[in-house]
Amino acid sequence: MKFFRTLTATVTLVAALSVTAFAAPKSIKVATDATWPPMEMVDANKKIVGYDIDFMNAVAKEAGVTVEFKNTAWDGIFAGLDSGQYDAIISSVTITKERQAKYDFTEPYTSIGQILVVPKTDKTSKVIANLKGKKVGAQIGTTGAFEIKKVAGVELKTYDEIGLAFEDMAAGRISGVVCDEPVAAHFALQKKEYRDKFKVVGKSFTKEAYGIVVKKGNTELVALLNKGIKAVKAKKLDVKIHSKWVK
Amino acid sequence: MTADNRPMIEVSGVCKYFGSFQALDDISFSVRDGEKVVIIGPSGSGKSTILRSINRLETIDRGKIIVDGMDVSNPKVDICKVREEVGMVFQSFNLFPHKTVLENLTLAQIVVRKRDRQEAEKIAMELLHKVGIAEKAAAYPAKLSGGQQQRVAIARSLAMNPKAILFDEPTSALDPEMIGEVLDVMKTLAREGMTMVVVTHEMGFAREVADRVIFMDHGRIVEEGTPEHFFTNPTHERAKLFLSQIL
Amino acid sequence: MTDNQSPHKAIEVGDGAAIPHKSDSGLFTAWRIAFFGAIALCLFLAFGRSDQYMAIFKFVPDGILVTFKVTLGSILLAIVVGLIAGLGRISTNRFINGLASLYVEVIRGIPLLVQLFYIYYALGRFVKIPDMVSAIIAMAVCYGAYMGEIFRAGIQSIPKGQMEAALSLGMSRGQAMRQVILPQAFKVVLPPIGNEFIALLKDSSLVSILAVSDLLRRGREYASETFSYFETYTVIALIYLVMTLFFSKLIGIMEERLNDGR
Repeated sequence: MKFFRTLTATVTLVAALSVTAFAAPKSIKVATDATWPPMEMVDANKKIVGYDIDFMNAVAKEAGVTVEFKNTAWDGIFAGLDSGQYDAIISSVTITKERQAKYDFTEPYTSIGQILVVPKTDKTSKVIANLKGKKVGAQIGTTGAFEIKKVAGVELKTYDEIGLAFEDMAAGRISGVVCDEPVAAHFALQKKEYRDKFKVVGKSFTKEAYGIVVKKGNTELVALLNKGIKAVKAKKLDVKIHSKWVK
Repeated sequence: MTADNRPMIEVSGVCKYFGSFQALDDISFSVRDGEKVVIIGPSGSGKSTILRSINRLETIDRGKIIVDGMDVSNPKVDICKVREEVGMVFQSFNLFPHKTVLENLTLAQIVVRKRDRQEAEKIAMELLHKVGIAEKAAAYPAKLSGGQQQRVAIARSLAMNPKAILFDEPTSALDPEMIGEVLDVMKTLAREGMTMVVVTHEMGFAREVADRVIFMDHGRIVEEGTPEHFFTNPTHERAKLFLSQIL
Repeated sequence: MTDNQSPHKAIEVGDGAAIPHKSDSGLFTAWRIAFFGAIALCLFLAFGRSDQYMAIFKFVPDGILVTFKVTLGSILLAIVVGLIAGLGRISTNRFINGLASLYVEVIRGIPLLVQLFYIYYALGRFVKIPDMVSAIIAMAVCYGAYMGEIFRAGIQSIPKGQMEAALSLGMSRGQAMRQVILPQAFKVVLPPIGNEFIALLKDSSLVSILAVSDLLRRGREYASETFSYFETYTVIALIYLVMTLFFSKLIGIMEERLNDGR
């Protein structure tokens, strides 16, 4: 009996796998760390929303697939892709050489840069190097964290979520936060708890592009998503989404 | 009134309840300076309870207890002052196991009487000589026999120069061969004129040492008188029965 | 025969890690295999063929130091908090007793992780204190509640006659507590406190969510940059294992010394 059940299950599983392998996927699972407003966040209705979410939905529609989002903590988000818990990541992932060595990216879909946020009481600091001997925070494993690490004499503090870094700066435990420009704008200029306390200083000091991440070698999915991105850009849908979320 | 004819301990109309059980029922007696009073009676008769009430280890519900002019039954009276003047010896010795014999004797002298260490140790050694265990001064209580421990406990009490000592069944926890050595120490104290209230089952001791015997039953004083009267010609049936069982 | 001669009752509170005693030969052997095995594996990985492990070992040491500082700071503070809570729990003053009981009940009813977030960010709202100090305070407040129960049980395990003897010598309750009860209670509570220390060492990994750069956070930082999750967490787990085994052994030795003492 038991053997029979196992056998049936195995056959079903193999069948299911072969179907997904040969046919174009109808639905894809996409991970996002929804703690990165306005790119991806959870709204009051507990729905994952944001620039990336709208963009991904638009791409999927153009590519003829449906998307199921999975809210995933950032510092395990790549490990989850490795272990096959989802098919792709759209989570403001900057395309870097190190990441490209281990994962495949789609074409870039938007460009941003890192920027520094400091308390309003700090009248002098313009760049990270001005904060020597002090602590500067960023989300763990982000390009912002990597940028801080490059500056000798500045102590990097990493947070699970960027919001916790801003809260710690409000508590006076750190002297600056580095993150993607739209995120910095969201926290320092729009959030009413912080806009009187923080300011964005200088200009963004890196040139980065976001891409959607898939497992290395999954060329089919990359091709499918690239097709979608191309169509979205052609229809200028990305411009609309951008003006909706980034102010 | 002068100090000479005022009783050292005066108990009048004391009642105590444990829940609905009446442990003490209208107990009145007094102890003059230098007097030795032995309280006897079957277990559960309330003899330990009244003894423990004298230094407020038990609180009473009605009545009055005056010790050396201080009202023990008044919660506002500093009970520590009373306890400094009235020593107590327990059935289970209650030596401090983490302190040496010598330290057991010096602790309260230093902490309560504010004597300096040297003086306290001198007094302690004299008392240890007196009770015959000076050679054990550096030992810990666990290394001593029961009889030795109880002699240390008596010496500990004496070190405070009390005006009276309460003995709560001091030999009941001892092996028979050790009872004699403890009673000998108590007899010496009696001869020296110490005021003593002793709860005991040792009828020989009561006969030999007591100025007065109090017999209690069911929380009441049934009979009170000289040992001679009590042991040879008790008035009450209950006392006669008790004596016939015990002698 | 007498209650003050009998060895103090062992009290069972909490469970951090098994403390290896010579009397428990099974556990003792297991300890040796685990401890030396873990060290051997560390050495093998560090000096083995791949440079990757060596890089991880080079990345995390300051995290070990932070983990150690947080653990030590927290346990010391927790002992102080616990002693106060424990004394409060046995106090005859109804207000103090109620307050101490409330503290213990509230803390024990909230997950440690939630408390850490709460205390860390709540403290940040009102006072400016460095992250590590906040983390230590948060851990100490949590563990103080458990420690309080250990102290309460420890104090209550001392025979009633000890307090009575001290009082009848004219000592105040405070003097009796300090001179007679607590010195005896400390001996009773030492083993469970040792247990709590090990538990706290492991739970200190939770402070990594507070952006304190402890061992786990260092590991996470390394993994999130290099994507070598398996290798990194292998190393992190091994280091924690070596640390907890080392300290459980140390506590075992301390306890044996104490019991041989007298």
